[in-house]
Amino acid sequence: MSSAQLEIQLIASLVAVACAIPGTFLVLRKMAMISDAISHSILPGIVLGFFITQDLNSPLLILFAALTGVVTVVMVEFIQKTGLVKEDTAIGLVFPALFSIGVILIAKNANDVHLDIDAVLLGELAFAPFDRLLIGDLDLGPKSLWVIGSILVVTVILLLLFFKELKLSTFDKGLAATLGFSPIVLHYGLMTISSVTVVGAFDAVGAVLVVALMIAPAATAYLLTNDLKKMLILSCIFGVFSAVGGYWMANYLDASIAGSMTTILGIVFLLVYLFAPNQGVFSVMFKERKQRIEVSLLVFLLHLQNHQEIEERHVSHLEDHINWEKIQAKTVLDLALKNNLITITDSIVSLTEKGEEFTEEALKYITTNKETAIEELKKRFFLFRA
Amino acid sequence: MSITEYFNLVFSDYTLRTITLGTAVLGAVCGMLGSFAVLRKQSLLGDAISHAALPGIALAFILTGVKDSNLLLIGALISGLIGTFWIKSIVKKTRLKNDTALGLILSLFFGFGMLLLTFIQKMPNANQAGLDKYLFGQAATLVESDVWVMTAVTSVSLIVLLLFWKELKVLLFDPDYTETLGFNTRFLDILITVFIVLAIVLGLQTVGVVLMSAMLLAPAAAARQWTDSLGVMIFIAAIFGALSGVFGTAISASQDNLSTGPVIVLVAAVFVLFSFIFSPGRGLLFRQIRFHQNRKELNLKKTLTFMYRIVKDHDNISHPHAIKILNNFHGFTKKSLKQLEKQHFIQLKGNEWAMTEKGFHEAAKMYNEIGNTNE
Repeated sequence: MSSAQLEIQLIASLVAVACAIPGTFLVLRKMAMISDAISHSILPGIVLGFFITQDLNSPLLILFAALTGVVTVVMVEFIQKTGLVKEDTAIGLVFPALFSIGVILIAKNANDVHLDIDAVLLGELAFAPFDRLLIGDLDLGPKSLWVIGSILVVTVILLLLFFKELKLSTFDKGLAATLGFSPIVLHYGLMTISSVTVVGAFDAVGAVLVVALMIAPAATAYLLTNDLKKMLILSCIFGVFSAVGGYWMANYLDASIAGSMTTILGIVFLLVYLFAPNQGVFSVMFKERKQRIEVSLLVFLLHLQNHQEIEERHVSHLEDHINWEKIQAKTVLDLALKNNLITITDSIVSLTEKGEEFTEEALKYITTNKETAIEELKKRFFLFRA
Repeated sequence: MSITEYFNLVFSDYTLRTITLGTAVLGAVCGMLGSFAVLRKQSLLGDAISHAALPGIALAFILTGVKDSNLLLIGALISGLIGTFWIKSIVKKTRLKNDTALGLILSLFFGFGMLLLTFIQKMPNANQAGLDKYLFGQAATLVESDVWVMTAVTSVSLIVLLLFWKELKVLLFDPDYTETLGFNTRFLDILITVFIVLAIVLGLQTVGVVLMSAMLLAPAAAARQWTDSLGVMIFIAAIFGALSGVFGTAISASQDNLSTGPVIVLVAAVFVLFSFIFSPGRGLLFRQIRFHQNRKELNLKKTLTFMYRIVKDHDNISHPHAIKILNNFHGFTKKSLKQLEKQHFIQLKGNEWAMTEKGFHEAAKMYNEIGNTNE
């Protein structure tokens, strides 16, 4: 691995972490699309800043562009306040207009601006190691490493300083305000940090993919944990993993690094989306199936308790009487047998003593409308769950 | 180039005519279907769909190896639909909220699409690909057959709109009620979503992935300001959309180095800005004017009631009083007194004023109203 390769991976990882931190809060505050708006609308700011400074990594340009980001937020909020359109429409109206201005500015000055549309959308991570910070003859490493590094340091310091304020205002705005933390200051602070991060990352990964780095790790982490700290750590890990994995994938495919990073993020999200323990699609499906079977079992037991007649308790009768399909009937019967709630003699089903007891109690719970207690009841009686 | 020259060119020049027609039709269909997106609070769905269409375009090219715009659009349509339904399932199945789902699908699909695009660029037949144009759109590549496809889609969606008009309308304003009426809301929802995706995909070639959402939103948001009726709104949105297309094309054609997509979006943005400010019913300007008028009227009423309190203890209500005694009350100006005189509520004579019969009745009415509401 050459030092340039190492540097690219380092820059990508730093960008990912710097994006993941504000991204986590944006996702939790239901403001994820604001990052999309900011990442597009800073374009005119970057172009104008570039006219002034002639250097994509100058701090002045970053400040200028970040200001455009904050202005976007203010504009969106102003339009929302007028009540002329619904909230999300305001976002959708502001950023394409600003982005168009940026694109036109670039196109009109294509000859004297070293800034092209592809770079805007994709970033130029592969070239980042060539633009080096030199002091005298001393080579201090790539400029963008310093830029994103300082943004990350500031972000982390602010995060540590205001962690509890941010946490509180994210989950309970009202309480935060009553306790004297200004939600407005925190809101605009977060917006400013997001804008600065987007600008810093813009150079490396481009306009649209910044959004991926902000939202995807946080959203993935949110499916795995309920703890804010864990969520922050997990999203940083996902970010770094996608940065390093994405680099090598791009290396192998000879394709865009930023594109590969997002693809890795996408794969990670897909896996978590499908297989996450509590929130994943399969887990939810499994839970729903379990609940369905157990409810059926309860209905079945109540049916048995109600009917002493033999013909009502015949195995084959279940299918047409309670309208169950064969497979479901078998699953329910098996579960009941396994839990020792019923006995089957000559295809006639009858409740065991334990079954009687369970049904009695279940009935009591249902008639007294305390259905939540049923779960505890199941725990006491069931050896096996569906 | 003067306007008349440009007009002649639109009718004589094949390319310009095709582009103008194409962008106009596109604007119209986007305005029409965008109205539904805006009213259903799905404004940003368009943004997500258009980005999600990119990998479909790239994959269609990789799989078939030919650059037939209709084939690529089918790829875009499929991947746009996958994106849309994935968003819906994320929102339904997990704890992630709508905005996160939108941002996720938007950026992840787009990133994957960009990966495929850079991958295609390295392929041997890359130079004939030219798929970059789908990023920002290139209206110049429109040909007559594209316009025909657009017109066909517009007509079909118009027919479907008319067929399902009342169902869609009631779905728009009260989905629960629609369900209780026995309509299949799922079907209606999918129907309108598919048409929105279709409109977006059609626009990709002209306006591009990145800016397509504005085409959908802007005309509808502008039209919303002028009316409260759905039918009228759709009609106005279609006109705004078409005009944005025509003007945008004209502006970008008259200058060098101006891509059509961004210009069309900016023209549409101007329509929105204009509507926000100048629409008579909801516009900011008239709202401000009404606000001032209300305040002025309130001041007049306050002055009149103050006078009433002075006058009502006198036997003769029209007994003249000095203006000076109003000084305790700060709500009046010379202008407001003149105004009151104009409405024949009082008569001014030099430094004195006298209440008229009409003014007395008016003030008494107001005074009693205030008293009643206070109780």
